[in-house]
Amino acid sequence: MSKKSRSKLWFLVHSWLALPIWFFVLIVCVTGTLAVVSQEIVWLANPDIRASKPSDDAQPLSFDQVIAAIKRDEPQVIVRSIIRPDESHFALMVGLSYPDGRSVDAYANPYTGALQGISPAFDFQQFTRALHGWWLVPFTNGYSWGWYLVSLLGLPLLASLVTGLVVYKRFWKGFLRPTLRIRHGARIFWGDFHRLSGIWSIWFIAVISITGTWFLIQAILGDNQISISSEPIVPVIAREKVPLSAPGVPAPMIALDDAIKIATQRIPGLEATFAFLPLNAYSHLQIGGRGWYPLMFQTAQLNPYSGEIAVSHLLSDRTALEFVTESMRPLHTGDFGGLWIKLIWAFFGLVLSMMVLSGLLIWTKRTALATLNAFKREAKTQRQPVPTPALRAETSETH
Amino acid sequence: MSRVAAKPSSPLRAWWLKWRFHINILLLLVPLGFMPKYFADAALFRGDAGIGERVAGDIQVGPWSLTLAEFRNEGPRPDPAGPMKAFNAALCATCAEQVKATYLRIGKPRSLRAAGVIFFGTPYRMGAIVPVPERTPIDAELWVTMEGWDGTMHQGSIPLSQASPATIAWLNKQGVKP
Repeated sequence: MSKKSRSKLWFLVHSWLALPIWFFVLIVCVTGTLAVVSQEIVWLANPDIRASKPSDDAQPLSFDQVIAAIKRDEPQVIVRSIIRPDESHFALMVGLSYPDGRSVDAYANPYTGALQGISPAFDFQQFTRALHGWWLVPFTNGYSWGWYLVSLLGLPLLASLVTGLVVYKRFWKGFLRPTLRIRHGARIFWGDFHRLSGIWSIWFIAVISITGTWFLIQAILGDNQISISSEPIVPVIAREKVPLSAPGVPAPMIALDDAIKIATQRIPGLEATFAFLPLNAYSHLQIGGRGWYPLMFQTAQLNPYSGEIAVSHLLSDRTALEFVTESMRPLHTGDFGGLWIKLIWAFFGLVLSMMVLSGLLIWTKRTALATLNAFKREAKTQRQPVPTPALRAETSETH
Repeated sequence: MSRVAAKPSSPLRAWWLKWRFHINILLLLVPLGFMPKYFADAALFRGDAGIGERVAGDIQVGPWSLTLAEFRNEGPRPDPAGPMKAFNAALCATCAEQVKATYLRIGKPRSLRAAGVIFFGTPYRMGAIVPVPERTPIDAELWVTMEGWDGTMHQGSIPLSQASPATIAWLNKQGVKP
C-alpha cells in the first residue's frame, strides 16, 4: 500500500472511530465534565454546603468539637464519619445515623459545628458521577455492565488520538501557527477548530483515555478476583483487645482528636482530613488524609480503646505499580489539587465534548462523501484512481 | 447519505448500515430506563423508607430485641465466597447502650465464637451479610446472638421462611428437598 493510501486509510479509521455512537460519546464527555465540577455546582445552588465564617477571626473546630456540637443540637443522632473537603469553602461532610433508620450525609459548619442541612434525596454530585461512571446500570454481581460500556470508550478515544496525530501531519506546527479560519464557511471553521483544540488537548485526551482504559482493566481484574493491592485486609479487633466493662456501660474509647494526634505522629506529613468512626465494638477507628503525594490517601486504623495502631497504609507501603494505578482515578477526575485543577479539567472536558461535536459536523459535511469515493475506488479495482479533493485537503500538510 | 455508500452485499450489512446510528438512541435509553431503579436504590441506601425493603419482624433475644429486615426483598446474591444474603437490623430503643455486638447465623451457633457474622453499623441501622449454603434446609432458623458489655450472651431465632421468603423460594429453586 502506498504511503498516500495508507494515510487515507488512517483518516477513514479516525473518521469512523466514534461515529455510530457519537451521541453516546458526546453525552459521556458532557456528564464527565459536569461530574468534575459537580461539587462546585452544588456549592452554587445549595447554601447548606458552604463553609460560611461566623466572624473573620473564626477558627475551624476540631473533629471532637464538631461531634460535640452536633450532639448538643441533636442528642439522638450518631456520627459515623467526618470528612473535611479539600477546599476550605466547603462545609464538613458528616455521616449521620438517625433513630428512624436513616443513614445520610449532612453538612456541618467547620467553624461552629452547626448542622446546616442534610444532603437532598436527589444528590446531583452522586447522580452525575453514576451517570458518567456506569450509565446508571446497577451493580448486582461484580461491576455493572454500564461501567464496562463507558470504560470501553477509553480505547476508541486513545485510537482517535493516535490516528488523529498520524493524519494531521506535522501537527506540532499547529502550536506555532494556530489557525482558526472563521470566515471561510462552516466546514473550514470546524476543521480548524477540531485540529486546533485537538493538539492543545493531546495531554488531556491521553490522560482521560489511558485512565478510562484503566477503569476497564480494573473492572476486568475485579470481576476475576485478581488483586494487585498491597493494602492489608484488616480483621476485626481481637476479642481480648476489647475491654470488658460493667453491664450496660460501653467500654470507654479514646478521644477522636487524640486518635488523630497518634495517627499524625505515626504518619509523617499526614494531614488528617477524614475520620471513620468504629462500625461496631470490634471495629477499628480509621483516620486518613493526603501526604506529600497529592494523588493518594494514607490511612491508619486504630484500636479505639487503647489507641494502638493496628494497621496503616502509607505512601511508602505502596508498590511502584500501585503508585501508577492508584493515581488513575484522581487523574481522571481532576480531584487532587483544589479548585483550579478541577476548572482546568472541566475546561478541557468541554473542549473534548466540542471535539466530538465538531468531528461529527466535519463528518456530515465531508467524510460521507470520501467514504463513498473510497468504496467506488475499490469497486473499480484500481483501474483509475478517483480524485478525492476533500480527503486530500484534509490529509495534506498545508492549509 | 451514508446509506448509498455501499451497495449492500448481505442482509446483515444492509441492516447495520441502516440502523447503526440508532445505537445512539438505544444507548441513551439505558440510563433513562435505569433511572427509577437508581433513585429507588439511593432511597434504600439512605434509609428513607426504613431499614430495608421488607421488615421481617421483631426478634426477642433474652432481655433485648431487634427489628430484622431484608435489605432487599430477594434471594441470596452470588459471591466468590458463595451465595450471600444481606439483612439489616435496628436494636430496640432501650438496648442500644446495653448491646456490645450482634451476630447472625443460619442454624443455632454452639458458642459465641461461632455466632456467625457480626453486624456493622449503628444501633439504629446495622447490616450483616450471611452466607447461605445451597443445601440449607428450608425449615432452617436464622439465629441472632447478642453480647453484652460484660460478656453475657443471649440468643434468639426466627424461621428463615419468615425472615426471608425470597431465600426459601431461592432454596426451592436450587432443588433442596424439604
